[in-house]
Amino acid sequence: MNSLLQSLIRTSSFFRKEIVEVIRQPRLILTLVLGPFLILLLFGIGYRNEPRAVRTLFVARQDSPLAQQVQEYAPNISPQLIFSGIVEDEAAALSELSQGDVDLVVVTPNQAYETIRNNQQAEFVLYHNEIDPAQIGYIEYLGQTYVNEVNRLVLSSIAQQGQSEATDVRQDIQAARENAAAMKQALSAGDAITARAQQAQMLQRISAVSLAVGASAGLLSGVQQNVGTEANPSPEQDMLSLLASMQSNPGNNQEIQVGKSEYSQEIREIEETEQKLAELEEKLAEFQSITPDVLVRPFRAISKSISPLQFTPSEFFTPGVIVLLLQHIAITTAALSIVRERRSGAIELFRVSPISSMETLLGKYVSYLIFCALIAGILVLLLAFGLRMPMLGSWVDFSAVLLAVLFASLGVGFLISLLADTESHAVQLSMIMLLLSVFFSGFMLDLRYLWQPVRVISWSLPVTYGTTLLQNIMLRGRGLDWILFGGLIAIGIFLFTISWLMLRRKMSHE
Amino acid sequence: MQAKQRNIVGGSEWAVEASRLTKQFGDEIAVNELSFQVPKGTIFGFIGPSGSGKTTTIRLLTGIYSPTEGKVVVLGSPPNKFSPFMRGKIGYMPQLFVLYPDLSVWENLNFSASLYGQALFGRKKQLKSVLEFVELYPHRNKLVRNISGGMQRRLSLASTLVHRPELIFLDEPTGGIDPVLRRKIWDHFRELREHGRTLFVTTQYVGEAAYCDYVGVMANGRLLIVATPEELRRRAFGGDVIDLQTGEDISWNHIAQLQKLPFVRGRISLLPGRTYRLTVDNASTALPELIQWGQERNINVESTKEYIPPFDDVFVALVQNLGDENGSQGEKE
Repeated sequence: MNSLLQSLIRTSSFFRKEIVEVIRQPRLILTLVLGPFLILLLFGIGYRNEPRAVRTLFVARQDSPLAQQVQEYAPNISPQLIFSGIVEDEAAALSELSQGDVDLVVVTPNQAYETIRNNQQAEFVLYHNEIDPAQIGYIEYLGQTYVNEVNRLVLSSIAQQGQSEATDVRQDIQAARENAAAMKQALSAGDAITARAQQAQMLQRISAVSLAVGASAGLLSGVQQNVGTEANPSPEQDMLSLLASMQSNPGNNQEIQVGKSEYSQEIREIEETEQKLAELEEKLAEFQSITPDVLVRPFRAISKSISPLQFTPSEFFTPGVIVLLLQHIAITTAALSIVRERRSGAIELFRVSPISSMETLLGKYVSYLIFCALIAGILVLLLAFGLRMPMLGSWVDFSAVLLAVLFASLGVGFLISLLADTESHAVQLSMIMLLLSVFFSGFMLDLRYLWQPVRVISWSLPVTYGTTLLQNIMLRGRGLDWILFGGLIAIGIFLFTISWLMLRRKMSHE
Repeated sequence: MQAKQRNIVGGSEWAVEASRLTKQFGDEIAVNELSFQVPKGTIFGFIGPSGSGKTTTIRLLTGIYSPTEGKVVVLGSPPNKFSPFMRGKIGYMPQLFVLYPDLSVWENLNFSASLYGQALFGRKKQLKSVLEFVELYPHRNKLVRNISGGMQRRLSLASTLVHRPELIFLDEPTGGIDPVLRRKIWDHFRELREHGRTLFVTTQYVGEAAYCDYVGVMANGRLLIVATPEELRRRAFGGDVIDLQTGEDISWNHIAQLQKLPFVRGRISLLPGRTYRLTVDNASTALPELIQWGQERNINVESTKEYIPPFDDVFVALVQNLGDENGSQGEKE
């Protein structure tokens, strides 16, 4: 009992020492607490979640139809495309690009019409001066957006023309309906001659309508074939079948006989045709009511998250920043701890005294864990009240994750402390850990972008577990993922064991 | 004095027993076949120039190093098998200041007390007592980085004593300290010895051998001799040294007669002021005989007194005399 009490006293000896040593450095505490808070604050203020605007210069011959089109449409294509003008000289445009006066040069195809007629795609050539692969991707995306826009304009123009033609068709249908009405009137009066003349005109107009509607219906049909339809039959099928039935209506096709006593059969057939023409007109009106833009771009995407809240980039990064910074603080403070005592010779005192390596390490773990937890607590309070840090999950789970991250990170720090020969070596190793964490933890790059075997590094880092766990708790409102949490604790226990074995070796006799 | 006698006769109460203790680092032999014993309740001084193997020896005795060859027993146990209980009986003051500059004097001492598992109850009183002993109590609230080097050494000493160890190893405790403070520190050591503690002290200051009960002289990893300070002097000069001052110059013939006396050893040196320095077997018996010899020859002997040579000279003489001899085995009485 007495030896257990003595062991507790020895283990606790580090607690007061480590805490007091750190408290004697108020600037260090200020840096540890305010540093991360200010980083997040500045990031929140400074980060703009908007795509970069690109100053774009077009190269086109003045007499080219595309030059006119560019002049007309380019300034309004996208807020990210800042129209810097049109020039004819490609070399001059590229010179401006290399001097940084513009970000993008778009060279329009010279003989687009002829190229297309020759069954080839006309090319817009995009020049940029980017070296960042991400920016190159963005520029290429923007260029593709521009070309898509040009293609849309062409298709839209075709659709508009089709709709304009549909107006003529409607006039033909109205005329055909008038013919049908005149036919009916003539037949009611027994005037077969007049009725026949009207029939000929009506059939001629129905044939014309049939040709025109075929083209317009093709547009809708293209859409229907690609995506299917819920209507049965579809509108364009309706129109085509109406026309076919009108054309096959015996009343329309058979010449009206002169001299019959009554024409009731012909009159019914004509009424039927009148009705179909009215229906056809109605459907054409529907077709015309669809804007050309909808016809050429019938679909658009709307993304909706099932998450209860939407987050700003700084809110999204908050869990990662908290974990990364706490990991760094824990690693750095622990890394300097034992190496400093080894260098100063204090470890020699420990070797002669009754304190064991386990008591030494445990004492240091507990004191640094409490110290880092205090720092974490103040930081979280500042973030919660100062930056309105999102928290959908449980604070208990959140605290458990932070403690586990600190436990595992201290293990990394103590391991560094036992491997490093000097304090500067320890700081360098800590910085390497920070770099590893930034690149491999998913903090900057999504883990899915990493090659599978390389993810072993990611999942060796406490920050990877901590970030994923905190994102789930804070941003998704989920409970503790026990597998990830267990992984984090396992890493911590492994590092504690390794550190203890190494310290035991260093504290044993040489 | 009793302790000295006990050592000479080979008493059984040893705090440290080393036998053919050797420590090798690679090809370099840091300590070569040291054999000595330290009686309990004494101050054992380990004297030698820098790099002679003093710190290696102290590390072997405290269990920091394991011997390559030979064996050592400290308080009845080999140091590399010390239990925590045994470690609690030992105090160790390293050569350099290794405590924490951002802690106050009191906090550093408190930390040292905790390292030894000292109970919280009564600890304050013990800390105060130790700080008063090293005269640092008025400075207890000062940060260590703000106190002088001498005060830091005294704090190290206080940290070594805070758990009341039986056996105290002090590695050059007076290194780089002014003579007044050195004297004060040795006074502390003597006080500790009076309280029954055993002290094993290494030092580069040969003069400090005078404060010790036993002195081991190290050179090039070898223990040249272990003896009391008085014995060391005798071993260095071949006996006691006596200065004989006469009223007038004496003839070469008389000097030759003097040299032939049976109790006179070695050559006679002529010093300024008609003073003749000679080495004798035993100063206490030689002094009256020398006076009588002068009277018989009508030589006016103005004074005869034993000369106590400074330990710097003793050390140089010993290293010259014994340096070439192999080991220290057999040197001890």
